[in-house]
Amino acid sequence: MLEKSIANDIIFEALSLGADFCDIFVEKTQVESLMMNTSKLKDLKTGVDYGIGIRLIFGHKALYGYTNSNKRDELLKLTKVLAQKYKVETSHIKDVEFKTRHPHLVPFINDQSVELSEKIAKLHEIDKQVRQKNDFISQVNISLLLKKQNIEVFDSEGLHIKDYRPYCRLATSAVAKDAGEQAVGSWAPGVRGGYEFVKGLDVDWLADYTAKQAVNVLKAKHCPAGKMPVVIDNGFGGVIFHEACGHSLETTSVEKKASEFWDKKGEVIANEALSAVDDGTLDHLWGSLSVDDEGMQTQKTQLIKNGVLENFLCDRLGEIKTGHPRTGSARRESYKFAPASRMRNTFIEAGNYKLDELLAAMGDGLYAKSMGGGSVNPGTGEFNFSVQEGYLVKNGKLTDAVKGATLIGKGGDIMKNISMVADNLDYAAGTCGSVSGGVPVTVGQPAVKVDEILVGGKA
Amino acid sequence: MKQELKDVLEYMLEITQKAGADECDAILNKGESFSLSAQNGDIDKYKVSGSEVLGVRVIKDSKVGISYTESFDKDALNLAASSAVENALNSEENEYEHILATKGEMIEPCEFTKEDVSIEEKIDFCLRLESEVKKKDKRVQSVPYNGYAENEASSYYLSSSGLFGFHNEYYQSCYTSALLQAQNQSSMYYHSSIGRSFSELDLESCVEKSIYHAAQWLDAKALSTGNYDIIFTTDAFSEILNCFSLIYSGKSAMEGTNPYVDYLNQKVMSSALTIKDSPKYQKAFFKYHFDSEGQEHKDLHLIQDGVLKSFYHNSVTANYFGLDTTAHAARSPKGGLGVRGTTRVISTGTLSNNELESGEYLEIHSLQGLHSGADAISGEFSFAASGYLCRDGQRVAPVKGITVSGNFYKMMKEIHLIGDEQLSDAQRGFFAPKLRFEKMSVAGS
Repeated sequence: MLEKSIANDIIFEALSLGADFCDIFVEKTQVESLMMNTSKLKDLKTGVDYGIGIRLIFGHKALYGYTNSNKRDELLKLTKVLAQKYKVETSHIKDVEFKTRHPHLVPFINDQSVELSEKIAKLHEIDKQVRQKNDFISQVNISLLLKKQNIEVFDSEGLHIKDYRPYCRLATSAVAKDAGEQAVGSWAPGVRGGYEFVKGLDVDWLADYTAKQAVNVLKAKHCPAGKMPVVIDNGFGGVIFHEACGHSLETTSVEKKASEFWDKKGEVIANEALSAVDDGTLDHLWGSLSVDDEGMQTQKTQLIKNGVLENFLCDRLGEIKTGHPRTGSARRESYKFAPASRMRNTFIEAGNYKLDELLAAMGDGLYAKSMGGGSVNPGTGEFNFSVQEGYLVKNGKLTDAVKGATLIGKGGDIMKNISMVADNLDYAAGTCGSVSGGVPVTVGQPAVKVDEILVGGKA
Repeated sequence: MKQELKDVLEYMLEITQKAGADECDAILNKGESFSLSAQNGDIDKYKVSGSEVLGVRVIKDSKVGISYTESFDKDALNLAASSAVENALNSEENEYEHILATKGEMIEPCEFTKEDVSIEEKIDFCLRLESEVKKKDKRVQSVPYNGYAENEASSYYLSSSGLFGFHNEYYQSCYTSALLQAQNQSSMYYHSSIGRSFSELDLESCVEKSIYHAAQWLDAKALSTGNYDIIFTTDAFSEILNCFSLIYSGKSAMEGTNPYVDYLNQKVMSSALTIKDSPKYQKAFFKYHFDSEGQEHKDLHLIQDGVLKSFYHNSVTANYFGLDTTAHAARSPKGGLGVRGTTRVISTGTLSNNELESGEYLEIHSLQGLHSGADAISGEFSFAASGYLCRDGQRVAPVKGITVSGNFYKMMKEIHLIGDEQLSDAQRGFFAPKLRFEKMSVAGS
């Protein structure tokens, strides 16, 4: 996408100006988006994102610029502007000979061309089935996103690599309405792959799941407030680890000491029942990569093993600043962002218990069947996340459906309070927003029992 | 305004019509920015950017298609034009969407003067965002988030009916944070400032407020679970209102998700509440002159004495309801037509601060989990919060580690304690008096 000779000139210029390191990120992404509501296709759009980001590293300083132009003069001008304040007399000029590498592509579903009419028909089918599931369903919103991201990375160490990343995500939400009260149920799976993923979905199951969730929430009582034990079920329940711990293990936070775990490597930070990984290599999962956005082959990173902190997630700048090794975790939303250490597919590993055993051991408490999103302040470890569908538990049995519950706490505390881990590991797709923009990530876990956590609800 | 960018728009419309569009319009946005942040006494992030994007909307046989491109070479523009027409052909009939038959020019340049400030001065300013915080308190572990930024953005609009619009913006901003740690406790707060020029930025206020609240909350405790009266700061209340902004949306009303869809001209909030959308509000930082369909903005009553008077409408939602557009169309080059509010203003009430702040209440400064803890469809919310327990207007104890929960729609029906002083949020985009919400659910220790 960018001529090698232009890349060479930019890197030569950067090194001539005294940069210790320079990399170039070229991106061309085709986007196709369909949105349906009121049983009609309301929004059909396509587009092409194209841009080039140039990063110069001087010591611990990262200078970053981007432009939509691929012209030699414009890119050289940007490089000079970036370095104008920091250029040094003693330069690191060297000839860079690019050695083109070809990434081992993460397997993904073959992305054959599919007619738009077939995709529109699929959305109509989903819309119809969700509406048929329950008379309380008053509205259905469906969006289908197909992205084909082509990237190319050059750097001053001679790296030249290209990657192709197809993404497909289908989001369905159902609104249930009764006597002025409304509630929503939703499901939004995604893969690193093409439209064949949607073809393979069980539409009946999807329709049943979203409609049931909306109606259950509609009929739910307010969740009582206070500290109590909670069983968080699998799949998107993994957002608890993502927020409560994962962000604090990114060197983006660690390098600023804005992480409660910045100096805890090798120490016990969680209950010994808990082991967790961040794995970018898992076939077609939504957060998988072949290479990261610095061109490094991605990998499986053991974060916590039996409660002990083993590794951080690290990008090039994180390695320079902290000394921790790179993990193929440098990610960014687009060329408009400098790369940063980010999560990929992050999950708590499966344990040996059954879900029923967790509920029985809890006795009375809250069962969070599905979770909404959440957020964290890595510096203090304070996190919060919402319960999308929850039930009170009495004597180990589910009773009333409850709504409006939020779980809050500190990462270090809750990691020690996860005392039982079930065997039903599952994954769910999400978009994680942070310093380098919104990136596709997978969260995951089997059901876990948290011995005590503060539940926000009705006092 | 750059003639060459207007030329690109004209070329885009010409080739889109040649490709078969019955009607079309295009938006071109151009942005430039510069930003810095500091760590450990040195600049660690230095960013320069320039970007352009052009989006075209096509009406063909009463169907709508959209396409965009970030490359302006002829091949890319031709592809965007043909893709938009093809998307329209594949779309479904939309009887309500048309390009408005308005002609003329709407040109509203932002008034600003760029000061002659050197890179060295900006770097020094950014370094102070970190160093001044560290000087204030030995317990500062780090200043993880700080930065200085300047942004310039231009937006061009052209329709096949012959309407041309141009608007630009220029502003600078800064922010800093304080992360304090002592005896295994930590707390953090950040504050920002915005201005049209470098000299308008209030570094001292950012530093003082970050340190003050972070220091107070370092020793804060959670309250006992129970019901408490709450006064949100204007910034915190603005965040809550934004979570439920679909109540004003004509688009969500059209799509059946707006809980107020059947309540136009009926009482939906306390009769003590009047809420207006005021695009050119004198005290507001941003002024809004015309919307994304080139229609001139005017003041609009959303809620008057508790009665729902109007939704935000663009031409499509207005057509659907048989009304006139309220000139609140919103469209980015990459998106379809939506609606958007401008500066919202809640009218003052009659209570003095002494009356409003009598007895015990919670003053909430900081909310977390806004994107996940609010359900705009049902109105239910539950947010993590930090603030102060107050008595008769005095802060008596810092509070953190609590959640505040309720139902937004019920809360807005029951409010009746409203202050007589107009306040603004930090960005000067929302104006409201203090509002005291009674007996809200708080979960704590």
